[in-house]
Amino acid sequence: MQHFSVMGMVCALGIAVSPGVAGADADFIRALNLNGPALVIDGREWEAETESGTDGFTAKGKRFSDQGVLLRPPTDAARTEMIRSSVWGGTVTLEFSGLKPGPYQVVLYVWEDNHTEQFDLLVNGKVVEAGFYSGSRGMWKRLGPWRTEVMESDGRLTVTARGPGHGAANLSGIELWSGSGTVPEPEPPAFNTDPSADQIAFFENRIRPVLIESCYECHSAEAEKIKGGLVLDSRAGVHAGGDTGPAIMPGVPEASLLIQALNHLSEDMAMPPKRKLPAHVIADFEEWVRMGAPDPRDTNTLAAVKAREAIDWEQARQWWSFRPLATPDVPAVADSSWPVNDIDRFVLAQQESAGLSPAPDADRRAWIRRATYDLTGLPPTPEEVRSFLEDDSPEAGATVVDRLLESPRYGERWGRHWLDVVRYADTAGDNSDYPVPQMRFYRDWVIDAFNRDMPYDEFVRSQLAGDLLQSESTDQRKQQVVATGYLANSRRFGSRVDDYPWHLTIEDTIDNVGRSFLGLTLSCARCHDHKFDPITQKDYYALYGIFHSTRYPWPGIELDKKQRDFVPLVPPGKLDDARTTLSDIGKRKRELERDISGLKKELAGSEGDKKNNIQQQLQQAEEELEKLISTPLPFTMAYAVSEGSRIEDVPVQHKGDPAKPGDVVRRRFLTVFGGDQLPVSAESSGRRHLAEWILAEQTPLTARVMANRIWQHHFGQGIVTTPNDFGKQGKPPTHPELLDYLAVRFRDGGWSVKAMHRLIMLSRTYGQAAGRSEQSVTADPANRLLSGFPRRRLDAESIRDTMLFLGGNLDLGPAPDHPFPPHDKWNFTQHNPFKAVYPSNHRSVYLMTQRIQRHPFLAIFDGADPSTSTPSRTTSTTPLQALWLLNDGFVHEQAFRTARRLLDMDLNETDTLHSASEMFFARRITLPEIRMASHFLSDAREQLAGSGIAREEVEQQAWAAYIRVLFRLNEFVYLD
Amino acid sequence: MKSSHLLNRREVLRSMVGSSLLMPGIVSHLLAESGHTTDPLAPKHPHYPARAKRVIFIFSNGGVSQMDTFDYKPELFKADGKKTGVGGGLSNQQRALLRPLWDFRPGGQCGTLVSDLFPHLRELMDDICVIRSMKGDDNEHYNATLGMHTGSFFFSRPSIGSWVSYGLGTENRNLPSFVALAPQMPYAGTQIFNNDFLPAYHQGVRVIGGSEPIANLDRRTRQKGLQELELGLADILNNRHLKPRAADTDLAARIRSFETAFHMQTDAQEAFDLSRESDATLGLYDVERGNNDSFGWQCLVARRLAERGVRFVEIVDGSSSKNWDQHGNMAEHAIHAKNIDKPIAGLLRDLKARGMLEDTLVVWTTEFGRTPGVDGTKGRGHHSASFCSWMAGGGVRGGLAYGATDELASTVVENKVHVHDFHATILHLLGFDHEQLTYHHGGRDYRLTDVFGNVVHDILA
Repeated sequence: MQHFSVMGMVCALGIAVSPGVAGADADFIRALNLNGPALVIDGREWEAETESGTDGFTAKGKRFSDQGVLLRPPTDAARTEMIRSSVWGGTVTLEFSGLKPGPYQVVLYVWEDNHTEQFDLLVNGKVVEAGFYSGSRGMWKRLGPWRTEVMESDGRLTVTARGPGHGAANLSGIELWSGSGTVPEPEPPAFNTDPSADQIAFFENRIRPVLIESCYECHSAEAEKIKGGLVLDSRAGVHAGGDTGPAIMPGVPEASLLIQALNHLSEDMAMPPKRKLPAHVIADFEEWVRMGAPDPRDTNTLAAVKAREAIDWEQARQWWSFRPLATPDVPAVADSSWPVNDIDRFVLAQQESAGLSPAPDADRRAWIRRATYDLTGLPPTPEEVRSFLEDDSPEAGATVVDRLLESPRYGERWGRHWLDVVRYADTAGDNSDYPVPQMRFYRDWVIDAFNRDMPYDEFVRSQLAGDLLQSESTDQRKQQVVATGYLANSRRFGSRVDDYPWHLTIEDTIDNVGRSFLGLTLSCARCHDHKFDPITQKDYYALYGIFHSTRYPWPGIELDKKQRDFVPLVPPGKLDDARTTLSDIGKRKRELERDISGLKKELAGSEGDKKNNIQQQLQQAEEELEKLISTPLPFTMAYAVSEGSRIEDVPVQHKGDPAKPGDVVRRRFLTVFGGDQLPVSAESSGRRHLAEWILAEQTPLTARVMANRIWQHHFGQGIVTTPNDFGKQGKPPTHPELLDYLAVRFRDGGWSVKAMHRLIMLSRTYGQAAGRSEQSVTADPANRLLSGFPRRRLDAESIRDTMLFLGGNLDLGPAPDHPFPPHDKWNFTQHNPFKAVYPSNHRSVYLMTQRIQRHPFLAIFDGADPSTSTPSRTTSTTPLQALWLLNDGFVHEQAFRTARRLLDMDLNETDTLHSASEMFFARRITLPEIRMASHFLSDAREQLAGSGIAREEVEQQAWAAYIRVLFRLNEFVYLD
Repeated sequence: MKSSHLLNRREVLRSMVGSSLLMPGIVSHLLAESGHTTDPLAPKHPHYPARAKRVIFIFSNGGVSQMDTFDYKPELFKADGKKTGVGGGLSNQQRALLRPLWDFRPGGQCGTLVSDLFPHLRELMDDICVIRSMKGDDNEHYNATLGMHTGSFFFSRPSIGSWVSYGLGTENRNLPSFVALAPQMPYAGTQIFNNDFLPAYHQGVRVIGGSEPIANLDRRTRQKGLQELELGLADILNNRHLKPRAADTDLAARIRSFETAFHMQTDAQEAFDLSRESDATLGLYDVERGNNDSFGWQCLVARRLAERGVRFVEIVDGSSSKNWDQHGNMAEHAIHAKNIDKPIAGLLRDLKARGMLEDTLVVWTTEFGRTPGVDGTKGRGHHSASFCSWMAGGGVRGGLAYGATDELASTVVENKVHVHDFHATILHLLGFDHEQLTYHHGGRDYRLTDVFGNVVHDILA
């Protein structure tokens, strides 16, 4: 497979391919064992190659051999020895000289002795293999043949390995062939397919019983779980091998994985795992392999296993959430007077069939408090409550909903829901958790998108591929680029610079794309086909290629601190100019730095005029550098993605390990939704296509998942209670028809989120009271049928924002940048990671959130997990929350400010209590409550006065104590 | 509540004081009546009878050298600057072997060899099972620390303490079930005691030492009685609110949480108050009277918390910036060892004297070991391929030295104990099948040991 892709690339890159003579073989010229002795391989003489030189050949690089490494796949002894000696380095050049002009072909052996490296290979200056991954320890490849032409003028042929960045190549051996004919592949040794009676007896007596006894438990068609994809209960299985390659190399026991495993040569493949077989048994197996593994077992168990594991796609598409969206019939209901819209009919029909009935309508005060928190995360003001109560028109509710949807507070609330899902954070998540001051542009974009009611399809498209969309204005262009901050926001990992784990960041992207947009756990298919849902490992790597072909910005890391690959926010078509500007500035900076250090050295050794002269030059250079550093760029840089420098398909990674590449997969969408492929003509990463695939009609999940999220945030739980998982491990919908009804309305209504709020909030279902009858609680304890509004607790943000709001202290102006330390002062390491909590009086959605350190307040009150998608908040009740409400300085300060606000109204005590009740609960205080509060205030005054507090402060402190009581009430943090 | 028709102020007050705040029975009754067991921290039974009821988990930050502490290698003492072994920080390069700086001597009846870095612990080797064949997956502090605490070397997952809290609940509702005694922050920060996707009840509560060991534990209202007054009114109002909503057990649970918090202000303070410990006990732990942030203080507080029913106490030794990470000079290991040797020995002796060692599992570990080859001129590099940990009490076979490495303490050659195996064994001692202690999240069942882990039966008593 690797071979195939290499050939493809050769042609694609336009290297001169001489017309070969069909059927004719190329002529073998010579082969060299780099940094090793002469050998015979494939029946041909290989020459020794050493540092002291070889006729007509030079190898430039460092020399290295390690004959102790176990090769994967194993191969014969001579080839093994050849591979394990090599010439290596960041740049290695092999050159043949004195060649006759004409067409030639080259075959190259490469291997890996420790961890994976990435490098390019070039023949006569042209890239023949771009971004080759060397694989993990012990892996090797025979690459080529690559065709090239040797010119009469120089008679040379060079092969170069070049690792941009940190990649270093180990080159083991090289074969040179002339002519354009076929270079023969090494012939793999053949299995013994015509065994003698003695050989069969040997198998039956010495081999088969051991296989049954020690191997079948995990390696047969009958095994509960077949390990490593290897079945040993038939000849076909033995010949095919497993996930890690052929198990047996016939005739060569030492090169057979099976024998290596029996000998426990490597830690991760020691079989049987618990105890090594006796030496004489292993010797029997070696003998058997030497015979060519004669095996009379004809039944093809492998075919049976394969058939069993194959996905039946037609059947897979029958899963409820994969079926096309249907416009369901609105059901008939017995109590036709109750419903006000179709939602109510769907809900009521199900209640009726369960023998339940809806709760009475909510009190109007409860309704407006509920609606206001739902859409803005803040309580209604007493004026808003009054104007609603005074509005007795049938549109009173709609007026409130419209007013709330127009409020900028709406986007801050609903944007936060989306930021939960996309695991938003202001830092990168690497071991030092580098700050990303520019991340907030994306946050603000999300908030603004909700406020503007951006159609959801545009919302999805912008986040996945905004940079690839047409734009009509500079502002639109900037917004589109910022939107791809969604992808940039993917988590960064580790501290390593060599072997940087990009695959984990891409994994994080795919995981989140799956959960956020599709409600699927795609990441389960990273190491193997999804165990429950019809998602194959190939599907996963088909998507992986899209993000592999995308350039993510570099936020900085301990050993490579500078931000790079951020995207300049410039008018459409000006990106290249901006990049040139950036590179010019960078170049000039480096020049100046070089000059300055040079001048400083010169200065040390000079005197008199010369010294003055140098000093002057130095000063000039330093001033220019200072100016260059302090002058802001002519454009803003966004934490956003762009197209990668390598646009390419990638191989499957065995067990999710990039060091274990398998077959290359074409970039495409999930098979279950048609598996549309990226057109051959596409020269882009494929993100634009991915967005369209996700939004296409044949992907019904997209509309279902978002409609469910909207519902979920109005009722506390979704119609599907696992909003990120619509697969088999998720929960089925309680109201499947209603979900489709909503999804169709959503999609056909121009993907308007605000229209969905109106539809849902004006239903009678939403308007029910929170109390439920005993019968309904018994019959439906979890209230899945919504026979009453599900009471729910305010989330962390609403609690904090409300306290600030009531204290008259909430800053609703534009949120400023986070006060991160200046970029040139960043010296964060895993020993001293970035860690900060920035106080702010802005809404909680604007709090600086670190990826790997929980914000102390948000952690206590079940805030979103910034390292992974949070589809719904849990609500725990812990003593730590109570302690916070009892003793935290913030609570006491807001209570004090709230008290002062109340006292500033200059009302009598009863009226002040009334006002507080309206502000906190949107209801009138009752007589007994007034009495108790008055008693409380008197007692508090008495206590305070007794403790020597100044008289004028006593009143404020007493009221502050009363407000603290209100802050702690269930009625305050629960919505009825 | 009958308070609504009380008119006399004094009576109202008495009623406030007499409400459920100081009569937990009322709330418990409400909870029981609703027919739900909503208390996620109620004591739970594990899968089978447990050997240990609680864990004290001591974590030494930075990578403690195995060949300088618990894994004696004569070959390394012959180091003459010629023979090489794995060296350097993060690479596999070969470097000259570095001779250990401390002699080894047998400890206890069992004679387990321990270096002079741990003279006090050495005396207790009959109670300790040393594991010399530990192995992790990552050579970075952050990732190895995360792995040691969560079983995941890269992704955020619940901490082992959170899993134990989730599995066992707590025996004392007035204290958290999982406490991390961490005056300084270790590698990977709050993630090492984070509940992640487990409910927040199971979050480790960080204790920083000093005068307010837990955030918000100190009463902010200076007037004695004002807080009671506030809680009294809140309690009445909450119960009035609850009455027509009695079916909603969350509301009652939240009322109760204030009661717990109220008691925590005194009970937790009491747990941290060492004033009534004798001089002899303080001496055992090497704590000076009045000190409230030393390692000895952490150990003594750990015993007090364990005594009071906290399920999982983590003691963090060192911080991410000041710890056992001796790349430059191995001699500095002595400073760190001296800091912890006597207090840990004191903890073990004290637990034993109180009969608590039998059902308290004490675990000591680090995130990885160090290289046999030199790093810098006198230091050692990171080495996850082999390191040492130990366990004591709670069903562990004391006096055992389990597992073996090659002659350079570089590779495990016998009885490998991977971090996942280590976790599986701890859960086993607590009575759990590590494959069954799962939590469904994001479409799959998660467990501490991911898809790995084998219980190390050989080290069980």
